[in-house]
Amino acid sequence: MIRRAAIVMLCWLVGAPVVSAPELAYNLEAREIAKGTWVIEGSTGNFSRDNGGNIVNVAFVITGDGVVVIDSGPSRLYGEALRRLIESKTSEPITHVLITHHHPDHAFGSQAFDPDTLYMLDGAREMLEEEGDGFSDNMYRLVGDWMRGTEVVVPANTLEPGILDVGDHRFQLLELTGHTGSDLVVLDETTGVLFASDMVFYNRALTTPQSPGLMIWAGELARLEELPYRIVVPGHGPIVSDDSAFRQMADYLGWLYQTLTASASRGLSASEVMQQPIPHRFDAVEGAEYELIRTTTHLYPKYESSALVLLPE
Amino acid sequence: MTRLAIIALLATSLPAWAGLPTDPYGSPMWEYNVERYLGNVAPVVLDEQVQVKVPPFAENSSQVPLTVDLSNYPLPIREMVAWVDLNPIPHLFSLTPGPAPATLVSMNFRVQQATTVRVAVLDDDGVWHLGSAFVDAAGGGCTAPSMTAANPDWEQNFGTIRGGAFSRVDGVRFKFSVMHPMDSGMVDGVPLFHIEHVVLRDSASSDPLLTMNLSESAAENPMLVFEFGHQTPDAVLWMRDNNGNEFERKLGGQP
Repeated sequence: MIRRAAIVMLCWLVGAPVVSAPELAYNLEAREIAKGTWVIEGSTGNFSRDNGGNIVNVAFVITGDGVVVIDSGPSRLYGEALRRLIESKTSEPITHVLITHHHPDHAFGSQAFDPDTLYMLDGAREMLEEEGDGFSDNMYRLVGDWMRGTEVVVPANTLEPGILDVGDHRFQLLELTGHTGSDLVVLDETTGVLFASDMVFYNRALTTPQSPGLMIWAGELARLEELPYRIVVPGHGPIVSDDSAFRQMADYLGWLYQTLTASASRGLSASEVMQQPIPHRFDAVEGAEYELIRTTTHLYPKYESSALVLLPE
Repeated sequence: MTRLAIIALLATSLPAWAGLPTDPYGSPMWEYNVERYLGNVAPVVLDEQVQVKVPPFAENSSQVPLTVDLSNYPLPIREMVAWVDLNPIPHLFSLTPGPAPATLVSMNFRVQQATTVRVAVLDDDGVWHLGSAFVDAAGGGCTAPSMTAANPDWEQNFGTIRGGAFSRVDGVRFKFSVMHPMDSGMVDGVPLFHIEHVVLRDSASSDPLLTMNLSESAAENPMLVFEFGHQTPDAVLWMRDNNGNEFERKLGGQP
């Protein structure tokens, strides 16, 4: 504190200009993974001041009669960069921005888009309304200036599960619950691209703050795998054209479930669970240790409680 | 170098209270809290054998798990004191063991901001052995209203106690939870309402296994874990809150 004050004083004394922060920019790049289908792949890291929250996969589909965007990114700045990127690829208007769930990395770039084009499942909308401001506070704390000007926008339009036809593309919209309680998954039947959103993490540890339960998630994952997909775009991690993301995800969910169940039956404390080693077969899964701490906080109390008996008075 | 040699070295090379070692975490509350909770007479040594396990960051500032692991700490223990340096009321618990001290103690605490957590144990020679850990946090855990009281049905669950006795290679681990809002008194209009006393007794002999005083830093709906070597799984738990509610349950020996 004192040293900082001294530096400030020194700068002032010698008349040095105040150094301003470098201009923040996401430099988004899109990759075409199928006809008219572009993905902007984020890192598999955590929210930080280095990445500005660009840890998420965002996609758009140029349908011939408008652009369908899947998720708007972590901040207003990201959303604006995303819109410019889309406009550089096509002159078609953006007709649909589908927000897959209420987490900030997926829903906080919406200010950059026409409010009439924003769509979200009803359950997810309610949660965004309820928890958005809390997420926002946390995002400002974690990524700082990248969030400047970002405000929570709750999409005006409710999305119903079912078929959505736009231009040459037919999208199947599915409502699931495993990740947050209201999770949108989009299958583009025209191209076979499955936008799995955060129902699938690949080479990135899954997150559980609002998960209704690991086995619920695993069950829904098995359902998703039955879909006639050709390419999987996970919410986080690399895009794959086989079942490797599903395999890893199912294995990881199963391991988490086993770990929490076995720990509870041995009477372990939460801090002991958090310190358990991650099996080597998950070495490629980024952030596993970090997310084990979070998941233990979110989910272990239920496992603990069911391993204890009600003690009569 | 052996532990005793280190203690001897520290004890001889430094005068009694001036023997307070430098805080490896550089907490601004180091000296103040050590003096407040351990007094300014007994010597203090840093001891990694007093293992303080907390996560590197608090995912939930109202429920941060702490485990004190003394399985590598061979000396007898006369007292144990835990506090959270930068909390408004730092004290978490004071524990007086019975003849055979617990080798592991675990419970959840609240954090108001990123802070060091301390656990000190007093040995038979009157020396405090102190372990520390640091937890990063967004904070606010002490001044957030309890989730319990926000639930209209909380009175129905109030005082519900679940428990279990888990066998270990040597001895037993007791684990129990009690539904209690543990209001810290730091939320506007919500007075202090928390469990102050926890006593665990051997069922057969009625000898205390431990006596514990909890403070405002303890988390709501406490989940407590105690492990003892060479102890049968039969014990009686007794607790009292500051409003005079008493809770008594048999632990272990359950079907």
